[in-house]
Amino acid sequence: MASGSVKAAKRYKIKKSTGDHIFDICNYTFMILLMIVTLYPFLNVLAVSFNQAQDTIKGGIYLVPRIWTLDNYAYIFREATIFHASFISVLRTVVGTVLTVFCSAMVAYTLTKQEYVLRKFVTIAFILTMYFNGGLIPTFLLMRDLNLIGSFWVYIWPGLIGVFNLIIIRSFIEGLPESILESGKIDGAGEFRTFVSIVLPLTTPVLATVALFSGVFQWNQWFDVFLYNSSDIDLSTLQYELQKILQNSNTTNSSGSISGMISGMSGAQSSVTPLSVRATMTIVASVPIIMVYPFLQKYFVKGMMVGGVKG
Amino acid sequence: MKKRLLLGLTAALLVSVVTACSGNTNKPAATGSTNDGSSTPTSTTQEKVTYTIYNGVAGTKDINTNETTIGKMLEDQTGVNFKLEFLVGDLNTKIGTMIASGKYPEVLIPDAAMEEVLNAGAFIELDKLIEEHGPNIKRVYGPYLDQMRDKDGKLYILPIAVQVGDYVPDPEPGAAFWIQRRVLEEAGFPKVKTLDQYIELITNYAEKHKDENLTGMVSLTHDWRFFATANPPMHLMGYPNEGNVMVDLNSHEAKTYAATDATYKWLKTLNELNAKGLFDKSSFVDNYDQYIAKLTSHKVLGFFDYRWQVQNGLNVLTDAARKDPSLDAYNYFPLPVTFDEQTPDAYIDPQGGLVTNRGIGITVSAKDPVRIIKYFDNLLTEENQTLTSWGIQGETYEVDDNGRYYRTAEQIAKIDEAFNEKFGFKQYGWNWPSYNANSTLANGNAKAVLYQPEVFQMRLTDSDKRFLDKYGAKTYSEMFAEPVYRPWYPAWGFAKEQNSPEQMWETSKDEITKKHYPKLVLGAPDKFEANWEEYLKDFNKLDTAGYEKWTTEQVKIRVEDAK
Amino acid sequence: MENNTAQAAVAAGAQRKTSRLGTFARKLKQQRVLVFMSIPFVIWLFIFKYVPIWGWTIAFQDFKPALGFWDQTWIGFDHFKFLFGDERFLRVLRNTLVMSGINLVFGFLTAITLALLLNEIRRVAFKRVVQTVSYLPHFISWVVAASIIQTTLSPDGIINQVLVWLGFIDKGNEILFLGIPHQFWTIFGASSIWKDLGWNTIVYLAAMTTIDPAQYEAAEIDGAGRFKKMFYITLPGIKAVVIVLLIMNIGYLMESGFEPQYLLGNGLNVDYSENIDIFVLKYGINQSNFSLSIAAGMFKTVVSFILLFAANNLAKRMGESRLF
Repeated sequence: MASGSVKAAKRYKIKKSTGDHIFDICNYTFMILLMIVTLYPFLNVLAVSFNQAQDTIKGGIYLVPRIWTLDNYAYIFREATIFHASFISVLRTVVGTVLTVFCSAMVAYTLTKQEYVLRKFVTIAFILTMYFNGGLIPTFLLMRDLNLIGSFWVYIWPGLIGVFNLIIIRSFIEGLPESILESGKIDGAGEFRTFVSIVLPLTTPVLATVALFSGVFQWNQWFDVFLYNSSDIDLSTLQYELQKILQNSNTTNSSGSISGMISGMSGAQSSVTPLSVRATMTIVASVPIIMVYPFLQKYFVKGMMVGGVKG
Repeated sequence: MKKRLLLGLTAALLVSVVTACSGNTNKPAATGSTNDGSSTPTSTTQEKVTYTIYNGVAGTKDINTNETTIGKMLEDQTGVNFKLEFLVGDLNTKIGTMIASGKYPEVLIPDAAMEEVLNAGAFIELDKLIEEHGPNIKRVYGPYLDQMRDKDGKLYILPIAVQVGDYVPDPEPGAAFWIQRRVLEEAGFPKVKTLDQYIELITNYAEKHKDENLTGMVSLTHDWRFFATANPPMHLMGYPNEGNVMVDLNSHEAKTYAATDATYKWLKTLNELNAKGLFDKSSFVDNYDQYIAKLTSHKVLGFFDYRWQVQNGLNVLTDAARKDPSLDAYNYFPLPVTFDEQTPDAYIDPQGGLVTNRGIGITVSAKDPVRIIKYFDNLLTEENQTLTSWGIQGETYEVDDNGRYYRTAEQIAKIDEAFNEKFGFKQYGWNWPSYNANSTLANGNAKAVLYQPEVFQMRLTDSDKRFLDKYGAKTYSEMFAEPVYRPWYPAWGFAKEQNSPEQMWETSKDEITKKHYPKLVLGAPDKFEANWEEYLKDFNKLDTAGYEKWTTEQVKIRVEDAK
Repeated sequence: MENNTAQAAVAAGAQRKTSRLGTFARKLKQQRVLVFMSIPFVIWLFIFKYVPIWGWTIAFQDFKPALGFWDQTWIGFDHFKFLFGDERFLRVLRNTLVMSGINLVFGFLTAITLALLLNEIRRVAFKRVVQTVSYLPHFISWVVAASIIQTTLSPDGIINQVLVWLGFIDKGNEILFLGIPHQFWTIFGASSIWKDLGWNTIVYLAAMTTIDPAQYEAAEIDGAGRFKKMFYITLPGIKAVVIVLLIMNIGYLMESGFEPQYLLGNGLNVDYSENIDIFVLKYGINQSNFSLSIAAGMFKTVVSFILLFAANNLAKRMGESRLF
């Protein structure tokens, strides 16, 4: 595969026409513009997170902080709960992602088997669920009756299979050349073994994609913590703790003024504002998950599939 | 096999869902009996226990009260520790799931969802508990408790805070037309009483300083804060903030003002200002952060708003002025503006009645309501009310020879946000049964630290004092009319049934005004009449008479109660 | 036609039924591994997704969460009447469909285009950087994103400054973008694309990895240029995924999102920004009226199903890959 692309690249160089050149220039220019537009919000948030909160209120922070400070980060990390919550976040992300990728892929594989008698039934049963839900309260009562409230597994079970992911994986498996899957059969491998030893390795790019989708989803979730585990600090997640801190900074600044009035706290002394906390928590919450991307990226920048065919 | 398991499982689920739902339908009749075991021997009182308080308002971080200085002292007195949990997401969602599952924290502050919680029968009846264990509750809440009774005549919730002793007014007005100090200074500290004078002052200044690219006025309209733009007509007519109505002091009739001459005049004034290029157009698209940023940009000459909404911005300006007195010119000064000179203003929140749609209650999930009620009772003693607001003598406050409480400069400096959290001022400052901020302690000191004149004076800058002096006042409030007692105040606090016509009226009214006001203000001046007619056409679809009738009835009930 | 089949079925009688059942059972036994690999998850699906549907009954009740199922007051179609009877309903429905339509069409076009263009970049390092950067806005919440958008579009924001600098508008006549009602759709579309463009390309890039490079090599030998390869190899290579995604998203046409409209909407553009979700928020959720939001949800589901089956059938007729 690697040698193939090098060869292809070489040939490109030889054949490059003026049209190609113009295209390349346009393409690269476009990409650079795109990067500017998409990098800006992140840099802006970063700058706000490092700028003194009271100064940020005045507005006008774009790419660089006006008054540097680490106070915003200190404000967030002074909460000891953040660290344990981060651990839970990592745990649910890893466990949730691994399980959902494996299970979705397995079901997806059975749905690519034309001869499978339940194929149509299972497919439609899954797809329909994308377009309805019973509502908040019935779901809450279900979790309660399944004894999932106050449990880590309430983060995992409801999202065990993502139908969207399932369908994407199915499309990919369907795209695999029949010959490879057949070759597995000839060896006398059972369906499950074919799935584990042939299908899974061949679909790495899509599994990486799906892993990214569900990983990000798990990482960002806080609503289920709010609904089911809000009073159990041991099961709290990073995102939920950050939401709390944000709320806290909100009330420090507005309605909390009533309590400030009574106890004689002058609001001027509050070092944070919701604006700054929101920016800081965006960074704290997103940087870890963004870091994962480059590791997964190699799987969809270069496909594994072709290597499989040739090897 | 699997199928049978599945069937069994779903059947079991359905059954449990149904039974669970019906499980908590019987109203407090059943729970009343649990209270009978209330006369528990005092020996158990000393055993340490932890209960949960769920607060429907976002607040401080979740914490055990005994981790704070005040909370620890209260635990030593009662043996009770509270785990405080605050709302993070949507209130109705959280309360809905609590009610549906029938599982509650021991103590619940349902905030805006009080009606649902009451209808769900989640609270236990308090009369008997208070009778037996609440001498201080009776002392503090006595006359008010009857106003809190539910439809069935029983008492389920305690109001958060009530007036005790003499009424201490806020040294600063709750709302005002604010103006940049340099405008007043340049004009020679004129007396500003009417909207016309206020606008003229701003217009003149802006014209004299054309090169500075100044904005005459901005207005806050973002999301639910839209009332900052919709409410001024009420204040300009000389009424306090009652929400959507003005309530006549004598007849107690509630009248809406959104479609009256008052609103017409207010919007027309803004429209004219806009035509002169002195109103900030983006007022109608800016978010709250952008608005606050504009107030601190030094470019805005005036605005109307409630103090608690702009406090952050004002603080930034005050801080800057402390460091560099020349910047004080950009700070704002509150003015008691009405439509005409004869109308006394009502910007200082008046002494009113009880807020009856908020409160704190003990739920059916509480195993030992007696200890909770005793804790609340103990909290309401004079000593503990002093503790929760002033703190500990010698540490957070001092007493002078006349018995007046004050804080030293060091103490004021020491009590910052972190200290407030650690000490428990923040946790105990609100959300507990307590005296309200306008109350007076038995020894004559103000309950609220910032309402104590001695403390207020210490917080003023030299420039603040100079400006106040020019107007012959010692506090900002002295420039404003004295508040008039209104036993129903505030009318916006009247509890409304969910989905009731009153609530629908408010939602629709909000929507209509949010849509039409921008057009009225930003439209060409010659189109104003036509736009106004168009607005009235939409507004008149609402059953305003019904809303006014309902509000008037509510006002009269409270007037009766207060007699 | 229907009559015929009915008669045939009757004529065929019971024996065929048993034999069909027999074949089914036999096949099921043969395919037991497949059954074990999928049926546990169908059970999971049933419990977690289908059981809560009993909640739809709430739409026909004057629902009080405290009451048991049997104690609720049944009020029939009142909530639906309220929803459909409101004069604003058609407008919010229109806004919902237009905005999700914008998302669907432009979201697809831009994501596929970007994926194709990225695929043309030969410098792997550069490509990786572009990819990583382009998906960053996805991680910024709408609250933060909306505030950046508001600042950018404000009269003293960068867009107006550029327009003044280029001489398109005079200083002092800056445009109040968010105050122009019909421009809301443009702003919404552009913001959504900006936020999720990079994120949406990921799945297409993954799909492109399945294309055998030998195909490109063969095409080159035939003298195919860059665009030819794009149109005849790359695009067909990802067609199956594109179509399946398209069908799925057509089913989602009733979901146009909620946050951007809520955060960027204001009194001036409300006629174009308010969608079904916001309507339900105002008159349902904010008033603790769970029933109304469920009624709206049911309506959306019905429309979704119709769209979904229609799209799937269309794909089937055109001989394309389909969803089910």
